Amino acid sequence: MSSIVISGDTSGAITLASPSVAGTNTATLPAATGTVMVSGNMPAFSAYSSTSQSIANATNTKVVYDVKDYDTASCFSSNRFTPTVSGYYNIYAYFQFTATLNINQIQIYKNGSQYKTFTTSNSAAGCSSQISQQMYLNGTTDYVEIYIYQNSGSSANINGGQNSSAFQGILVRAA
Amino acid sequence: MTLFEKIKAIYPSLEDKDFMTVITLQNDSDGKGDYIAKWEHPTLARPTAEQLA
Repeated sequence: MSSIVISGDTSGAITLASPSVAGTNTATLPAATGTVMVSGNMPAFSAYSSTSQSIANATNTKVVYDVKDYDTASCFSSNRFTPTVSGYYNIYAYFQFTATLNINQIQIYKNGSQYKTFTTSNSAAGCSSQISQQMYLNGTTDYVEIYIYQNSGSSANINGGQNSSAFQGILVRAA
Repeated sequence: MTLFEKIKAIYPSLEDKDFMTVITLQNDSDGKGDYIAKWEHPTLARPTAEQLA
């Protein structure tokens, strides 16, 4: 390598800090072009429902997540994750129904439409269903929500509480 | 009576699987209640607002 080129015309400074302990360390950059990801630009959040929620029979119902464990980039609001960095995200959610069900589904919605669905048949009361999916989000308008479906013949409740529900997302790779 | 029950009353022949395939009922938990998000049944017409009232 013959040089380091710093381009851009914004104000401010770039600081490369050495470790606070003695020693020789090497950071090797890949032979590729892309955005270096550091903790400050990698959105991650985790939320859960603090109370139970009634899910109507045969109706896709958006889950209400009213408590956030963390939200590093303030991207989660009103039960919706709208990340501000484009890239590939891992989305994860789980829930528990309080009743025995023939069919239940947990669904990832992207921009208001079904994106991925996981179906469980003949689930016992207290059993959990979960879904994990990697997906691209554009960092501006794309958003993700969680819906639940059940067809027991009447409404059924999902449990609330930190150990009974979750909706999480984290940037895995920048675009 | 729920939206599902109203639709079943109009079309008793509908089966559970229809509501997982050609018909989608949805509730966005925004206080506006259940609504028909998708109706792609090959033979039965989408119920009118008057029928569902």
